Amino acid sequence: MEMNGSAVVAMVGKDCVAIAADRRFGVQAQTVSCDFQKIFPMGDRVFVGLTGLATDIITVSQRLKFRSNIYKLKEHRELSPKTLTAVISNLLYERRFGPYFCEPIVAGVDSTTGKPYISGCDLIGCPVEPADFVVAGTSTDQLFGMCEAVWKPDLAPEELFETISQAILSAVDRDALAGWGAIVHIIEKDGVTTRTLKGRMD
Amino acid sequence: GGTVLGVAGEDFAVIASDTRLSEYYSIHARDVPKLFRLSPQMVLGCAGFHGDVLTLTKEMNMATQIYEYEHGRTISCPATAEMLSKKLYYRRFFPFYTYNVLVGLDAEGKGAVYGFDPIGSFERETFRASGSAASLLQPLLDNQIGYNNQPNAKREPLSMDKAVALVREVFSCAAERDIHTGDGVVISVITKDGIKESFHPLRAD
Repeated sequence: MEMNGSAVVAMVGKDCVAIAADRRFGVQAQTVSCDFQKIFPMGDRVFVGLTGLATDIITVSQRLKFRSNIYKLKEHRELSPKTLTAVISNLLYERRFGPYFCEPIVAGVDSTTGKPYISGCDLIGCPVEPADFVVAGTSTDQLFGMCEAVWKPDLAPEELFETISQAILSAVDRDALAGWGAIVHIIEKDGVTTRTLKGRMD
Repeated sequence: GGTVLGVAGEDFAVIASDTRLSEYYSIHARDVPKLFRLSPQMVLGCAGFHGDVLTLTKEMNMATQIYEYEHGRTISCPATAEMLSKKLYYRRFFPFYTYNVLVGLDAEGKGAVYGFDPIGSFERETFRASGSAASLLQPLLDNQIGYNNQPNAKREPLSMDKAVALVREVFSCAAERDIHTGDGVVISVITKDGIKESFHPLRAD
């Protein structure tokens, strides 16, 4: 899990969620790419952030997109974030004794109820659905420390953006394997705003 | 187990530690602070394997007393830092399993914090978190005291009240997410007038 380096965090705000990830892709100490995608849209208002081994990030996101597409074709509606968590959990547990080295985070706003939702899983699919924030990657300790201190309930979208940005940038600055900037998605009922952050490029 | 935190200000220094003594998933004691007074204006915070903490602090107390007898004055903070570094490196091939933070006032009366690794590498810093919750606390201190990633923030000098309030809040956060940190926090504030200690309870779970 410490081969490539990654940091993903999701937070709940007032009728919105935010999900952020770093952009580094490295092979242990050597940085190979500074714009590696770790957050993937699985619907209009649902995003999945993946951490861990880069090849499994790519494979799991592709297989998940496949399942999401099939669901949409069969049901004529999009996957809700809660259901997507169940799909990911199933996908990962199928490989219980030879797992994907990948820990996902789901963040989204339910399109019918408008409720914000976040969840995370371990590499074999055990889900957790906290009310405040989820963290994953090589910088989990640093992210836990930052989020615990700066998160408050019912933050407005603009405030949530500032909060999650400070949390991820300060946390990855203390992790050699994660960083090289960050990307933040703020998901609300009406739309998604995406911003790229410039941090320490080391 | 245990966590230690040191913050230096313009004319003061703050050091804090939790009071939990744990081993793997058990708690041995809830009232064991990791701060040790070496002189009227210097405190050593020592986290890690408690056996080595007790031995090292015993040695340091002895060494600072002997210095007083030989030199006729109290040892200064930078000199103690050098001494501690030597003591730790002396055991390079069977180290003291301790994470140390030495806090005091320098020759000019400014706050000084020295962070050490287990074999004596040390550096003077403005703030340093050490011990089991170090990785949780250090980025938070970078952000709040060092104004890391905040290019537009107004940089104000750190006041004593703000420093103590920050230390209390930061230990609460550490106690939430680190199982080895909790029960209580002891905060020592060092100024030219001496050392003031205070105790605040933390989560006991």
